[in-house]
Amino acid sequence: MYEYDSLDRQMLADRSAEFRGQVARRLAGELSEDQFKTLRLMNGLYLQLHAYMLRVAVPYGSMNPAQLRKLAWIARTYDKGYGHFTTRTNIQFHWIKLKDTPDILDELAKVDMHAIQTSGNCIRNTTTDPYAGATAEEIDDPRVWAEAIRQWSTFHPEFSFLPRKFKIAVTGAPKDRTAARVHDIGLVLKRDRAGALGFEVIVGGGMGRTPYIGPTVREFLPANRLVSYLEAILRVYNRHGRRDNIYKARIKILVSALGVEEFGRQVEAEWERIGQDAGEGGADLPDTELARIRAAFAATGFETLPARSEAFETARAGDPAFARFVRNNVKPHKIPGYAIVEVSLKAIGETPGDATAEQMEVVADVAERYGLGDIRVTHEQNLVLPHVKLDDLPVVWAALDAAGLATPNINLVSDIIACPGLDYCALANARAIPIAQHIAETFADPDRAEEVGELKIKISGCINACGHHHVGHIGILGVDKKGEEFYQLTLGGSGAEDASLGTILGPALPYDRVAGAVDTLVEVYLRERKDGERFLDTFRRTGVAPFKEAVYADAH
Amino acid sequence: MKALTANRLSDGDVVFWKSGQWVERFADAELWADDDPDAAEAEAAGRSQPTVVIDAYLIDLVESEGLWAPLSYRERIRALGPTNHLHHGKQAEGGAVVQALQHAHGAARSTGRVNLIKRK
Repeated sequence: MYEYDSLDRQMLADRSAEFRGQVARRLAGELSEDQFKTLRLMNGLYLQLHAYMLRVAVPYGSMNPAQLRKLAWIARTYDKGYGHFTTRTNIQFHWIKLKDTPDILDELAKVDMHAIQTSGNCIRNTTTDPYAGATAEEIDDPRVWAEAIRQWSTFHPEFSFLPRKFKIAVTGAPKDRTAARVHDIGLVLKRDRAGALGFEVIVGGGMGRTPYIGPTVREFLPANRLVSYLEAILRVYNRHGRRDNIYKARIKILVSALGVEEFGRQVEAEWERIGQDAGEGGADLPDTELARIRAAFAATGFETLPARSEAFETARAGDPAFARFVRNNVKPHKIPGYAIVEVSLKAIGETPGDATAEQMEVVADVAERYGLGDIRVTHEQNLVLPHVKLDDLPVVWAALDAAGLATPNINLVSDIIACPGLDYCALANARAIPIAQHIAETFADPDRAEEVGELKIKISGCINACGHHHVGHIGILGVDKKGEEFYQLTLGGSGAEDASLGTILGPALPYDRVAGAVDTLVEVYLRERKDGERFLDTFRRTGVAPFKEAVYADAH
Repeated sequence: MKALTANRLSDGDVVFWKSGQWVERFADAELWADDDPDAAEAEAAGRSQPTVVIDAYLIDLVESEGLWAPLSYRERIRALGPTNHLHHGKQAEGGAVVQALQHAHGAARSTGRVNLIKRK
């Protein structure tokens, strides 16, 4: 894993001290709320319905056991004993006091953590594949490039006040676990015919009020030219992105307005100018620096093991519950004798993405003892232990299961993304969490959930789409109808490599009809599906008609 | 009927106005008839305390089980706490007023919503 150097640590110390002074000035009345709001947002601090919310960065979703233990300690000391992992692979605490925040930032800095780039109109935390460095599918380790982006983008003076927030995803595998095509910039690592490493560059995807699947602006960008090309994109956006209308300020609106060809032409022209201005040294990270970053992610600590583990096979054959966990939560690793383990934060009836302090400590302990000290956060609000020996899987499962972290439901109907919604968020129109809980309880029978197969339900409490509803196989959007909570369902969305936006099913449904409607949709799918079809495949073949007819049957 | 609410600056807690002071429980809040000019006076007084609270605003109330409850769902959640953790927030202490809020019906966009969005 990448470790901060003295410059990084000094930067965090300075930032924390600066914010301590700003908080003191606000409490003393020397700063108005309008003046202070921008400053607190630059440190991840929001004011929500019940308290302040602090969003802590987990850069590219990667952390070590000491960091997770620190988050647990903060949850216990300054919050109500839990934290909420987000779709940006960060964690947020919902019951924070303003007066405690400087101390919290100091504590985070002790383990090289912070709240930088978790809010405000800057380049936010980069999303990568949670299986990075572990999956055989990947062409290159995306963390190398995400770290390069972190170093380039943090406090970049030119890009600290963009028209709007800016989100980048990097996937190193063709199977996209980052939702790259609905990011401001999606980067897909690939090799050209000569074997050279590069990126497909996708620009102008996004969700929110105006969703877009991002178009490809460049089919192949040589990998070592990444930073200068990103700079060119950001410059064109900074120059032409709209600042007069918050709803039209994201880069997706600019790309759509200019057209992808004209936008690409302007980026290429800017890129050429950047190259000329940079002179002999170039505008990209030197190869020596890239090599230094790459070395930090080198695979270390792995043992040479047989591909087959007798201990694992015996446990799987003898314990149906363990076998179910393996079927759903364990994924193949590129190194023989190892596996990737998904830690579910979607226990039936619990809040999606929430982890208690005790659960965080269990994951930290398991990662330290059995997982080479590596922990990942997924954009689907789960955790991943990317490097676990097959031999150790039974004991890892037992430890996770005892802590309520082994629900065997990854990618199944109860593995639901939900934003905090109206239970916490000042922007929300409707609750998202209880809807997720009702749906999960409807499909609590694990046999039925497995029979249904892959089904991604994503719920947002407002049009800002923090719950990614546009790209849910079933998307659920909370709306306000004359002050009451209603929910608009969309079908057929996908945030994966086959990205698509959902189609509206019909009129919005009241709160107490949503879980039943999802049950009906699943029944239609089971009736209509052909061999091997996922819910998404069946929907794409049949269209919306049979689903709509079933859900609104009683309206006829 | 109306009540005056805000979030406390130092910790973000939801507070309500009572006779020139900010209190934490909706049960203790001062209530005014819709046409009572004292409500607007209290709002002005609350807004003049920027080092104590953020964005004081009046909310509309509705009768529930013989008591008064915020009309909008958003304001009921603010006065109670999140519905996914019933032991978190002000609802944890229970009591008749909390129950009345939990059972209240009524629908309206929050009168304070614009301010809530602006301050995020």
